[in-house]
Amino acid sequence: MMFKPKIIGFVCNWSQPTTLNSAGTGRIWGYPRIRFVRVMCIGRIDPVAVLETFAKGADGVLLIGCHPPDCHYVEGNLQTEYTVEILKKLIPLAGLEPERVKLLWYSPSEKQSFGQHVKDFYEQVKNFGPSPLRNEQPQSKLMLNILATKNVASDFRLRVLLGREKELTEGVNVYGEHIPKEELDATFDDIIREEFVRHMFYLLTKTKPFSVKELAETVGMKPAAVLRQIVNMRRRNMIILDHVEGTTPFYKALEVK
Amino acid sequence: MSKNNGFKPKIIGFLCNWCSYAGADLAGVSRIQYPPNIRIIRVMCSGRIDPAFILEAFKDGADGVLVAGCHLPSDCHYLTGNFKASRRVALLRKVLKEFGIEPERVRLEWVSASEGDRFAAIVRDMVEQIRKLGPSPLKNMEAKA
Amino acid sequence: MEKKKVGAVLVVGGGVAGVQASLDLADSGFKVYLIDQGPSIGGVMAQLDKTFPTNDCSMCILSPKLVATGRHPNISILTNAEITGLSGEAGNFEVKLRKRSRYIIEEKCNGCGLCAQKCPIEAVDMYNEGLAQRSAIYVDYPQAVPLKYKIDREKCIGCGTCYEICKAKAIEYEQKDSEVTLNVGSIILAPGFEAFDAKQKSEYGYGRYLNVVTSIEFERILSASGPYGGLVLRPSDGEIPKKIAFIQCVGSRDFQLGNPYCSAACCMYGMKEAVIAKEHTPSKLDATIFYMDLRAYGKEFDDYCNRAKEEWGIRFVRSRVAGVTEDTLTGNLHVHYVENETPKTEEYDMVILSIGMTPPKNIDKLAKILDIELNKYNFCETKHFSPLETSKQGIFVCGAFSAPKDIPESVAQASGAAAKAMSIIAPERGKLVTVKEYPPERDVSKEEPRIGVFVCHCGINIGGVVNVPEVVEYAKSLPNVAYAEANLYTCSQDTQKLIREKIEQHKLNRVVVASCTPRTHEPLFKETVQEAGLNPYLFEMTNIRDQCSWVHMHEPKEATEKAKDLVRSIVAKATLLKPLQKPVINVTQVGLIIGGGVSGMIAALELAKQGFEVHLVEREKELGGNLRKIHYLLENEDPQEKLNNLVRAVEGNKRIHVYLGAEVADVTGFVGNFKSKIALHDGEEKEVEHGIVIVATGATEYKPTEYLYGKNPKVITQHELEEKIANGRFKAKNVAMIQCVGARNEERPNCARICCGQAIKNALKIKEISPETEVYVLYKDLRAYGFKEDYYREAATKGVLFINYDDDRKPQVTSEPGKLKLLFWEPILKEEIELEPDFVVLSAATIPNPDNKRVAEMLKVPLTKDGFFLEAHMKLRPLDFATEGVFLCGMAHSPKYIDESISQACGAAARATTILSKSTLEMEGIVANVDEDLCSGCRICEYLCPYNAIEIKEKEGKPVAHVIEALCKGCGACGTACPTKAITMGHFTTEEILAQVKAALMEEATA
Repeated sequence: MMFKPKIIGFVCNWSQPTTLNSAGTGRIWGYPRIRFVRVMCIGRIDPVAVLETFAKGADGVLLIGCHPPDCHYVEGNLQTEYTVEILKKLIPLAGLEPERVKLLWYSPSEKQSFGQHVKDFYEQVKNFGPSPLRNEQPQSKLMLNILATKNVASDFRLRVLLGREKELTEGVNVYGEHIPKEELDATFDDIIREEFVRHMFYLLTKTKPFSVKELAETVGMKPAAVLRQIVNMRRRNMIILDHVEGTTPFYKALEVK
Repeated sequence: MSKNNGFKPKIIGFLCNWCSYAGADLAGVSRIQYPPNIRIIRVMCSGRIDPAFILEAFKDGADGVLVAGCHLPSDCHYLTGNFKASRRVALLRKVLKEFGIEPERVRLEWVSASEGDRFAAIVRDMVEQIRKLGPSPLKNMEAKA
Repeated sequence: MEKKKVGAVLVVGGGVAGVQASLDLADSGFKVYLIDQGPSIGGVMAQLDKTFPTNDCSMCILSPKLVATGRHPNISILTNAEITGLSGEAGNFEVKLRKRSRYIIEEKCNGCGLCAQKCPIEAVDMYNEGLAQRSAIYVDYPQAVPLKYKIDREKCIGCGTCYEICKAKAIEYEQKDSEVTLNVGSIILAPGFEAFDAKQKSEYGYGRYLNVVTSIEFERILSASGPYGGLVLRPSDGEIPKKIAFIQCVGSRDFQLGNPYCSAACCMYGMKEAVIAKEHTPSKLDATIFYMDLRAYGKEFDDYCNRAKEEWGIRFVRSRVAGVTEDTLTGNLHVHYVENETPKTEEYDMVILSIGMTPPKNIDKLAKILDIELNKYNFCETKHFSPLETSKQGIFVCGAFSAPKDIPESVAQASGAAAKAMSIIAPERGKLVTVKEYPPERDVSKEEPRIGVFVCHCGINIGGVVNVPEVVEYAKSLPNVAYAEANLYTCSQDTQKLIREKIEQHKLNRVVVASCTPRTHEPLFKETVQEAGLNPYLFEMTNIRDQCSWVHMHEPKEATEKAKDLVRSIVAKATLLKPLQKPVINVTQVGLIIGGGVSGMIAALELAKQGFEVHLVEREKELGGNLRKIHYLLENEDPQEKLNNLVRAVEGNKRIHVYLGAEVADVTGFVGNFKSKIALHDGEEKEVEHGIVIVATGATEYKPTEYLYGKNPKVITQHELEEKIANGRFKAKNVAMIQCVGARNEERPNCARICCGQAIKNALKIKEISPETEVYVLYKDLRAYGFKEDYYREAATKGVLFINYDDDRKPQVTSEPGKLKLLFWEPILKEEIELEPDFVVLSAATIPNPDNKRVAEMLKVPLTKDGFFLEAHMKLRPLDFATEGVFLCGMAHSPKYIDESISQACGAAARATTILSKSTLEMEGIVANVDEDLCSGCRICEYLCPYNAIEIKEKEGKPVAHVIEALCKGCGACGTACPTKAITMGHFTTEEILAQVKAALMEEATA
């Protein structure tokens, strides 16, 4: 049977392409498997929501907003570009191709090319094949990965920076300095990497206590690096020592009651 | 309703100002979470704690009492108050049985100013233990009376 | 014309030495500027887990001192500051400082820490020696003083999150470095040391092998608040080690490295870390210490050492470790060493490098600015008879900067440097300090309790979890509460004003604050209520942040209920609060010093320089004590010349009354008000009044019974040898010295500290006057600590033979007619050697003055089991007794070299000056009270009081307990023990505590 990708499109309330039906929640003709969800402004889309969509088994996510100068909320949509950039860093951690998420600008004057972009995206996702997360068990490795990325996206460290990335890259920081894009990018990469590992450990140790060695084997990291993250997680009250077996300490997630 | 369902143990903690209270502060500063069952009474020295205070606490409805001071032998700000506390609590334990109170409801612990983790762990453990023991027998007696 | 003197002192360095010096100065009426390069004070001691030899928790004993420093009205702490210029002269210096920006307005930051919680950037946490991370806006550690956050500008990306989150509006990104100019009379340098960079000893693999850590890293690993929560773990894999090794002398006693000196503290801290590691490890842990000489030379250190061996099973191996290699598969370490000429290798899970002390970073620059001399190792140059003075007048030094040393010695020196710094500006005492004036106290005794409750939001630290408005409403419903309100920050300046207004408006007579910890904030609020005319003891506090919002973050409902319980409980206590008066006692501004040796004389001179009269009582017919017997020193100074100068200075000083051939026969009274009887040489008795006592009774040389001493005239002591050399009567072809005679044995387990130095000194002197004489030194551990190591090396280079012996194979001395024979085991040649020495010189121990027992009983102060005087606290109060107003110094404390006695003597004078500088002393108001009608005179309280604050007096024919308020510290142990309940403890009365308990447990009808 031919693979028909399931694609979810988040679409801005004010930019609904006329190709959508009047309810705004319908389908683009010819692409019945793209389901649309209306949001007030695409600039407000939360990366957590996109990751959640993938976790639920979507093969691709399309974000559609007004062309930058047309935004109903002045510049709200510009934030989306940064959100998508972050998403493209997070999705691969969950084993998905970064191209499974795409941001499209719509303006009534570009109806034709817009349709083409949608088509291209559909084809691309189709070529990727079904999302590996489609029929996964909730406790599987892949599911843990996507859950971890979701947690990373809702972690304060990323959110704080995401909220300011535009300000920082386009303007100056609080000291009046311009931060090169690459530098900021590197910072994001570091934070995402660290937080992904921490949330991964958190999810794993929620199921049962783990030793440093076990965690290292599970995620393919060096034990020394795992220990450093556990030290950090202790500081942030994400994990505690559960028990010691012989000479091996076991840690468990500190669950919020 | 079964016996221990919804039972929220009430614990009084007598903490010395210099080490144990500071340890509890560090648990706070480090945001180490522990169950909200303890009510802390600050005293200058664990040597100030009269066994009568502990008995009164039970009479007033406490399910457990924690006495915490500076580590033995020499952390005590007042030189030897912790030794005094340890002797008094040991003596009290013997008497408790006569009052029908399980001696495990009274704990004497040494907590230093850098042991926030330890303080939280003690509270956690104690709440768990007292939950198992159930409400203080004194409380039941009063309820029956 | 001489410039006007300034009654202020600059203290450079906020470690424990700088803190002690600052407190002593400020308590004696001088303004203090305490500067530190870092963002907070505390120094290395704040990083330590435990301290030897008592295994006290370091933070527990240090933190109260830091808080006292932070709150002292006469101490200004300037952090992130360094000296950039100096002009002027002793008595009137102008110092220029650069204060690096914190990017935080210190006055506004209340240390709530929300910024650090929300900062997205992480950086290496150097307080934890790089084993953990912190945020880019940070404090070094939770108990830091001042508790002011700082932005790590290198790491901060300038996102602005902290600015938005800070409710106190304390963030200031535009803040620039500032220049500060200070006018001070003298300067104390206490910059401490820099830990040796272990990477320089590449053969030990530090920096390459993850499981090789430094001793300071290991302190953090051991600490409950450290990266691993106090569990010893291997950094490579987080496993608990089974076998650990300590390598001593890393970066010390290392000639090739250019650090040939001994770092003086490592043997003890290594042992301590080994003991604590075993204590902290749930599974079996083997610990081995590789050492060269075990230098446990301090007070009761050998006791500790013996316990480490016997009780804790620490293994000691005498060997310089050649190298460490790693098993790359397991991360285990192979330690290669040579023992008994045999190369050996042992495998360990973890290796700890006991790193030495090196001079502070960039010290040359500071030395240049201040124009002070450094020694060849870049430590501060000092002289044996002036150990606290730098080469520049008016600039003094203490702590590890003058030579590597441990905490108690640094603390004693700090007090000593304070005495020195004060003495040159003594007339300016009290001129620059602020004395706070309070309005007259309102009499509330006739009023019904009217309590005001102030509940703090602490930004969102409390309010974000606890429903503060609900708590306020609840507080209003409580009996006796006349007013309640919420504040954004109850501790802010404007709230203090508001509290004062509310006290007036609502006629409040008790105030309760529900916020954070009383340990840091109670003094502030007490001051506020006092400013509003209330007695400061009509204030109470409860902690709904550290005990509610921060520890029950995810249970807002329970946290709110608990906050209400705590408020109800503290209000119940507050209802019963009574005003307390701080007892004020008069001070006789005169000192009494027992003992006229070098310590007693120095202490007397220092007190006289401060302007106080002194009675100096010496049993012998002349002043000088043991110094009389010392004719030359290792250091190039003439002791007899110094002695004569000292005696002349003392006898010529009008303020010092010397009593020779006399004895203190009786002492009564208490701090500020002592009365003593001096038995004079002519049989008369003189009575003197004084405010303090300094015990400087010295020590004496052990008369050996071993090695044929007293039976063969060729067996002599080091003092006797010195006498012979000094008199030019020394002639010998070969001399053998035997160390540890009368020390480190069953009877006296502890080291006598100075005999190794004596032996080296006499050996060098022999080589100087008679180079061909053979000198053998038979020793157990050669304890040439600090810079003494240089002389040890010099002696060895000059051909003095140092031969190690242990207790299993002690040297044997036998005598045949006309012949003296010495038989000893040569461990390197592995054979018995027989000598016929011209002299066998016994390094006889220094033992306590036999009179100590009498003096101790007279003053009611304790002795150690060895018979030396026992101070209030071995680590941080080396010169105080637990009994207020009584101090000790010199060899009465334990054996020591002259420079060390001088430091302690100056220190004891400074400690005494904190009392003598005041005509009246205001004591703490929380003291015990005796109801004489109830008192049965059973004396239990007298026996229990650790401060001798209770005496039994005769009243109307019956004995009753009487509290000497000046001595009472308010612990309450007496009140708890009193069988007739005759003793009440101010502010913690039984009624108050029980009311608090009862209210805490009350079931709420509404709940």
